[in-house]
Amino acid sequence: MESGVAKAEAGVPMADTFATTRPHDEMRTMAGDVRPQYAALAARIATLTSDELSERQRTLERFFLLQGITFTVYGAESSTERIIPTDLLPRIISAEEWSTIERGLTQRLKALNMFLADIYSGQQILMDGIIPRDLVLGAPSYQREMQNLYVPHQAYANVCGSDLIRQPGGDFAVLEDNLRVPSGVSYMLANREASKRVFPGTFRGAGVRPIDRYPDLLLTTLKSMAAEWRPNPQVVVLTPGVYNSAYFEHAYLARLMGAPLVEGRDLVVHDNMVYMRTTAGLRRIDVIYRRVDDDFIDPLTFRRDSGLGAAGLFNAYRAGNVVICNAPGTGVADDKAVYAYVPEIIRYYLGEDAILPNIETFLCREPAQLSHVLANLDKLVVKAVGASGGYGMLVGPHSTKAQQDEFAAALRADPDNYIAQPTIQLSTAPCLIGDAIEPRHVDLRPFVLSGEKIVVNPGALTRVAMRKGSLVVNSSQGGGSKDTWVLTDGKDLHP
Amino acid sequence: MMLARVADSLYWIGRYVERAEHLCRLSDVMLTATLDRTESSSEIARIALAAVGDPEAAAKARNPYEAVHALVLDRQDSGSVASSLAAARENARQVRDQITSETWERLNLIHLRMNDPNAARTFADGSQAFLHETIADLHLFKGAADATMSHGEGWRFLLLGVYMERAQLIGALLEVCFGDKRGRALSDHTALTALLRMGCALEPYLRVYTADMQADYILEYLLLDEDFPRSMRFCTARIEEHLASISHPSDATGLSGPDRLAGRLRARLQYADIGEVQAEGASAFLGGVLDECAGVHKAIFEAFVAYPLEQRLPA
Repeated sequence: MESGVAKAEAGVPMADTFATTRPHDEMRTMAGDVRPQYAALAARIATLTSDELSERQRTLERFFLLQGITFTVYGAESSTERIIPTDLLPRIISAEEWSTIERGLTQRLKALNMFLADIYSGQQILMDGIIPRDLVLGAPSYQREMQNLYVPHQAYANVCGSDLIRQPGGDFAVLEDNLRVPSGVSYMLANREASKRVFPGTFRGAGVRPIDRYPDLLLTTLKSMAAEWRPNPQVVVLTPGVYNSAYFEHAYLARLMGAPLVEGRDLVVHDNMVYMRTTAGLRRIDVIYRRVDDDFIDPLTFRRDSGLGAAGLFNAYRAGNVVICNAPGTGVADDKAVYAYVPEIIRYYLGEDAILPNIETFLCREPAQLSHVLANLDKLVVKAVGASGGYGMLVGPHSTKAQQDEFAAALRADPDNYIAQPTIQLSTAPCLIGDAIEPRHVDLRPFVLSGEKIVVNPGALTRVAMRKGSLVVNSSQGGGSKDTWVLTDGKDLHP
Repeated sequence: MMLARVADSLYWIGRYVERAEHLCRLSDVMLTATLDRTESSSEIARIALAAVGDPEAAAKARNPYEAVHALVLDRQDSGSVASSLAAARENARQVRDQITSETWERLNLIHLRMNDPNAARTFADGSQAFLHETIADLHLFKGAADATMSHGEGWRFLLLGVYMERAQLIGALLEVCFGDKRGRALSDHTALTALLRMGCALEPYLRVYTADMQADYILEYLLLDEDFPRSMRFCTARIEEHLASISHPSDATGLSGPDRLAGRLRARLQYADIGEVQAEGASAFLGGVLDECAGVHKAIFEAFVAYPLEQRLPA
């Protein structure tokens, strides 16, 4: 595919033929043979009864419950703790495939950071007409306040979690970039810890690349963002608090990095410096890894009703006395409409073709593409540009006529707000459902860090649509997760 | 150096955990004592309920099982064991990055059992076993904290909470038994033994005083013993020690600083004489000590958590 922007008038073949064929399976080829990277696991599973597998599943769930990796369901009389659905069978990726992913994501994040640096300074890419000006500057995630603000190493998105899916042919493509406050990395780490307990033998023999350096890499990345004249910079993690659904992750990362976990009420801004209230008085902060959305970090600059951030924080940032990671305003680069231009962005800044392709995307703001989308609502996935988490989305083949009519009306009323993509049958991976092993759809979210340099952690969160046939993997919509093994190519294995 | 909010949470974890343990022990003693239908058994129930501050102690003592059931499992009552443990865990969740996984797991486990849908039935099937197990698990929690947490500031705030709560709980128990509000002195052998059990002091007491149960000895032991970990003197000595080891902001050492108050309190108990205490009246002495405990508690909060910002801003 030349470009992510589909040319509907040229009669691009629709992806509807794929919906009826069997999707790519992670473990088995179309002929039904086990892929080489899965051989050891498949052999191990074959020796286990379904009771033994269920027993292992219970061990896994108990591990999560004990660790408190739970969310709370508040009831009238009492509250109960639920764990996030987790599957015990790992998803396995070969060294060769991983190397493509690694190169592709590095290239992509490098280009997106350059794009952000450009958009928030000279805006050369808009002058050269590569992307429509209004599409970028009109995006709700574009933050005017970030204009001409110095960001070290041009590293705007310090933590990026891109969602990859397999195309019908089996190659990975990028479905979505997450450059704001991507979450899920604690599940990647916790899943790994659990899976080492569940399949120790298979794990040892498989040659899995370790991922547990992530907190260390994250800390190094964050420290590299601090001003160089501040030796031993104080890094903190800023959380909205204990009632946030990702609180476990915030505490987990803080604990493993050895950084204080702060809330807005712990922060004090004075003379454009940010301090935290400690038992021994105020202590200066250099880098804030914030897990609070742009809108909430500073009531003086952004939303006035926010109690989650600290008043004056943004001015301290502008003054260069503190670094906010990820930088505010990075959302403009993962906007669903800007997404369509990412291959162009990569070519513009790096002079290279994108290693990981985009999914073909129709921009409803273009009249020709809008009419194509309207004519094919039953085959396409329509997404609202600003929404995330699986909300504001129409999955054509799984929708009713009434839902399609509703979206058609919305599309005509506000076409700028929508994009459409062909319905891609996400690949499937074997999962333990009840006491049988069944295929379920999965995607892949690797985590990429960028500070002084870009690092791709050799692992990922595999999200699973636990309902049969469902293509929605978001945890807010009943999705679960499983461990993801990235295998070594054997070179770095000691005998 | 640690976050003020975190220090506060750790302190409260200590308080809630100690409170839960004490309530379990009182409940256990109460249930065991009321198995025998004697004069002193209802006396013991009244003492236990009054010691936890129940205004209807006398009425509720007639139905000890119901009273204990509520004291342990009633989530509507913010003073129950279940509520205390829920509060401890909620605080622990807020400072999850500051306590080790081993410590967290212990507390989480106790909380999960208290909140199990079958908890009420398990309790009905064997109340004493349930209470005994909860106490043992709370000991494991403290043991895990001691063995795995760094004995730095965070751990010291946790223990400050434990000893502060313990001093006040034992103080309240002694006030019920030896205060002026009691008509006649406690002299019944069974009741005195139960009192020692409530303070988890029976066996250590026997080592010192043998099986000679005397109200005066018991008061002396629970109030002034140097080595027994639940005597008020021991608690205040630890409070002073931990406070001394926590790094202080310069303005927290003044007249109203927690250090000075804790030192004075410890000295008061260290140099007290049981004869003098009784001449002065145990009630007055206990009241004074408990007031000073409350003062230290307040001073800790003001010095480390809710200090005025303008004093701490860089010049």
